[in-house]
Amino acid sequence: MPDTTTITETETNVSTQAPWNVVVHDDPVNLMAYVTYVLMKIFGYNEKAATAMMLQVHRQGLSIVWSGELEKAEFYAQQLQFHQLKTTLEKAG
Amino acid sequence: MNIAPTIEGGLRIDPETAEDWQILRAIAVDANSHGIDLANRLGGLITDETIAEDWQDIVVPDLREMFMDDLNHIQAAIETASAFPKDGETPIWITREDAFTWYSSLNQARLALEEKYNFGQDPESDAGNLTPLRHEALLRSHFYCALQSFILKHALTL
Repeated sequence: MPDTTTITETETNVSTQAPWNVVVHDDPVNLMAYVTYVLMKIFGYNEKAATAMMLQVHRQGLSIVWSGELEKAEFYAQQLQFHQLKTTLEKAG
Repeated sequence: MNIAPTIEGGLRIDPETAEDWQILRAIAVDANSHGIDLANRLGGLITDETIAEDWQDIVVPDLREMFMDDLNHIQAAIETASAFPKDGETPIWITREDAFTWYSSLNQARLALEEKYNFGQDPESDAGNLTPLRHEALLRSHFYCALQSFILKHALTL
């Protein structure tokens, strides 16, 4: 029986960069059902999750609708602005 | 004016009077008026120094072009319907494919009116004190909002 040793190495890549928050802000024009529709369309959220975020925007003035790497955050913010939602990008933490 | 859903999942608008055509044509007029650059206002919300400059250079022009394309599209639909009546009717069709274009244009008009007149949450509370110009703007804003609600309910689907 050959004398063998199996070495398993696990490498984990952890980004050291802080994530970015995509934030939607309240405004006096956009209809509540439309905000829910846009969140479902862009992020693929189900109606319950999208409605909860929409209500947070309505009641608290803003909601963090997504967090993650900058490139994706920029894409989502651009899509939300295309849909005329007041959107900002902020570094998390 | 009659507005009704179609079996294809869109809407049909039938203007009946000169005032109906006037308010439909006012969508683009309102959206373009008051010197409000919606693209710049939305894009200007991105202020982090690492991305703000690129946003202004790349995203804002795209937003501006898209918003203008939407307005041009609905203007063309309105004027085409007006110029080419069929059997005495002048229907304007909002298909599912261009529902968002209509919604966007109406939103641009409402945003511009809100920016100019600052109606706020309860504009009717001060209805007696509205100037004629402001009152007309409020009525247009209500009409745009009602049409948006129809579009949301009948044509803007995932």
